[in-house]
Amino acid sequence: MPKEVMRRTAADNPYLHKDFHGAMSCGIQYLHERFGAEAVREYLRRFTDAYHAPLKAALRQYGLPALAEYLDGIYEAEGAQYELAMTDDELVLRVQECPAISHMRSHGYAVADLWVETTRTVYAHLCEGSDFDFELQQYDPLSGASVQRFFRRQTP
Amino acid sequence: MISCTEFIPAYSELFRYLEERGGKQEVVAYWEYISDSFLHNLRQLVAEHGLRGCWMYWSHTLNEEAADFTMEIDDEAGEFRITMHQCPSRGLLNALEHMEPYHDYCGHCDVLYRRILEPMGFECFSDHSECDQARCVLIVRSHRHDTPSMG
Repeated sequence: MPKEVMRRTAADNPYLHKDFHGAMSCGIQYLHERFGAEAVREYLRRFTDAYHAPLKAALRQYGLPALAEYLDGIYEAEGAQYELAMTDDELVLRVQECPAISHMRSHGYAVADLWVETTRTVYAHLCEGSDFDFELQQYDPLSGASVQRFFRRQTP
Repeated sequence: MISCTEFIPAYSELFRYLEERGGKQEVVAYWEYISDSFLHNLRQLVAEHGLRGCWMYWSHTLNEEAADFTMEIDDEAGEFRITMHQCPSRGLLNALEHMEPYHDYCGHCDVLYRRILEPMGFECFSDHSECDQARCVLIVRSHRHDTPSMG
């Protein structure tokens, strides 16, 4: 076969490499087995502090609309089926099927035992230092279907 | 959920976390683990198609990652080459003003792919001298030749 050449620029393709979910899961499982469950949570809190610093600041400054914009962005990009309802004091996200778990299961990637922490730990830590808190009201580990609630903390 | 569009910063922070836990050797051990346990598709494609398996593997990943690259394969010469003009992963990290990339972020590529390809009889050459500017070169050769030109 003659020499072949493929030339691409960044503009030629959208940035959406879903196999990264499998790599993320691999990393979570590795940490879990090597250092234990608390290491997974500690790592995810550090990731949140580092990567989500601008979002944490926006949540403190603008409240839930900042979070809604972020969540819409990632779930839209992933092609998820979800509903988001918001008031001044509460944001509820209902995800019919986690797009990460869906991709991993359909492509034969193992789903880490503590995959749920990429939602529970990250979003709970995102809220620390703000007027809001987070609870994962429902979660199906098989599909990742979930009900996620961000709510304004009660002040005594 | 951590979106797949957020994976690269998460990956970089994982390297940093592992290094804090156990030094650079802990990071390299993790890279070897990923290579052994996650990159089955590269191993399988190369086992079935030889050097062309590299072309097939990276055709998929580099396009999905929206990379700016030139990829070449010369079956007669037994050479596969990726010239990365703008690595999407390193480029993304460089663009995040509030985060520092892990100091040897790009080191994982060399470990991951060399560990698969060399035991299968290929030689790997990489030039990471400009990786902090998101540029690098990977060359895979199917049999022994003189060291290839990186230019």
